[in-house]
Amino acid sequence: MATKYETVIGLEVHIELATESKIFCSCSAKFGGEQNDHVCPACCGMPGMLPVVNKHVVDLGMTAGMMLNCHINRVTTFDKKSYYYPDLPCSYQTTQWFAPVAVNGTVRINTSKGEKDIRIKQIHMEEDAGKLVHDDWTNTTFVDFNRTSVPLIEIVSQPDLSSAEEVVAYLERLRSLLRFAKVSECRMEQGSMRCDVNLSVRPEGSKVLGVRTEMKNMNSISAIERAIEYETARHIDAIENGTEELVQETRRWDDIKGKSFAMRNKETAGDYRYFPDPNVMPVCIDDEWYDGIKATLPEFPEVKREKYINELGLGEYDADLLTESRALCDVFEAAYAESNLAKESANWIISNCMKVLNRKQMTPDMLNIDGKSLGKLIKLVADGKVGNANARKILDEMFENDIDPEKYATENGFIVSNDTGRIQDVINAVVAADQKSVADFKGGKEKALMALFGKCMKELKGNCDPAVLREMLLKTIQ
Amino acid sequence: MDREILRRLEKLNQLQLTEEQKDSFLAFYAKQTEEMAILDSVDTESVERMVHVMPIYTVVREDKVIKKYSREDLQKGAPETTEGYWQVPRLVE
Repeated sequence: MATKYETVIGLEVHIELATESKIFCSCSAKFGGEQNDHVCPACCGMPGMLPVVNKHVVDLGMTAGMMLNCHINRVTTFDKKSYYYPDLPCSYQTTQWFAPVAVNGTVRINTSKGEKDIRIKQIHMEEDAGKLVHDDWTNTTFVDFNRTSVPLIEIVSQPDLSSAEEVVAYLERLRSLLRFAKVSECRMEQGSMRCDVNLSVRPEGSKVLGVRTEMKNMNSISAIERAIEYETARHIDAIENGTEELVQETRRWDDIKGKSFAMRNKETAGDYRYFPDPNVMPVCIDDEWYDGIKATLPEFPEVKREKYINELGLGEYDADLLTESRALCDVFEAAYAESNLAKESANWIISNCMKVLNRKQMTPDMLNIDGKSLGKLIKLVADGKVGNANARKILDEMFENDIDPEKYATENGFIVSNDTGRIQDVINAVVAADQKSVADFKGGKEKALMALFGKCMKELKGNCDPAVLREMLLKTIQ
Repeated sequence: MDREILRRLEKLNQLQLTEEQKDSFLAFYAKQTEEMAILDSVDTESVERMVHVMPIYTVVREDKVIKKYSREDLQKGAPETTEGYWQVPRLVE
């Protein structure tokens, strides 16, 4: 009988933290910019410059740890990792080895085979490396230090994953939790979430791990899925058919060719010669700091989802869409608190707000309108004080400026008028000018009424209760 | 410590040692290793890890961007620059 194999996978996921400044200096951590514009003597590795820890990096490291059920090390230290490559000008990376900020966590994933807990070995804080551009013309390398020292956390899992499906579920769960806690945007295409896959294969039931390879350079979840499937098949082929000798090494995934290529022999921890960084004193997380972070943790998305369905009466589809993003949940909850209208609040966010976000090429996480103001607007519509078309204009303005919807509606003449005299005047004028539509309607063409209705509404600039207008229009014609 | 480990360290540190230097390092590390072995024999299971020799902790700063230096100032001492990049010998073939 043919041997059955199992794949053993552990992941190292790098997450770029949502901070304004770098981890050890006050330079901007913003993506992009002119080359070497976000730099100072500290992140350029000038002699004598000392690092000063950014408090928010530790805040976010702790937050990530708590979201992933980790133990937080109350005294956490930084270490030097030797690294000779000019994208880090100090010849070492400042990272955490001996006492990382968070250890021993778990992440629960859901797959077609049911629930499974993936153990987290540790989460450590560290600095990113800069960018190198290799130039064929001058046969030299250009160095840009803008990314150098941008803060990262690395989430190291235990080798508990055993298929591409589990890896995808794990990464999606990490992304959802960390976005929810505002730790990072986790955008793989922009490099703010990167993943290295450690993979080996062994006969099912065996306790001995096979030869492990590490794969880098995967910038989408689907690429990771393909890379795992390819690498698993390559390992099995090597074991069964002796097509090649498996060696412990780092490999680069080429998604276009659909193949992995050897990059270098895998370094072991000893090769990096970690040692405590004498330039950064230990970070002490006292009770006040720890409790403060604990108090800011959001509800988990699935807890909110259940609440939206069971307590607020939303459908599953709406609850799923809202809980995709913390920003959507925040605006929804504030709008509901103001209006007491759950379904209408969800509808306004899912249809109208999403349309504006799409038009502006913004992601749901970027929704930053005031939820309380949205609630007021929803109430104005529900009370019949503002028509739908004008309410959408007010929403557009809310994306640009901090406005009070009722005040804005009043100032711009958007409040529905109850002046029946004015409505009748408009109806009379429209009917007199469009006798053809009147005749068509009387001849049985229902649509002709809508044409007249539309003209009246346009003339009234939308400030009329549609039911009142329809009734008065019908009465006039008949 | 043997010649093989020394050769590996030499490579990792991008050094080229003379035979005389190698002998001297080997003798030095042999002594160090002996002393470390004494420390290793002490049972430290119940001792909390010392993170620093002094009972002090780091100060932290607020997450605020401050721009103090221009690229031109920082690159004044650079042997070569091109369009705002530091220019170094090519790293990969």
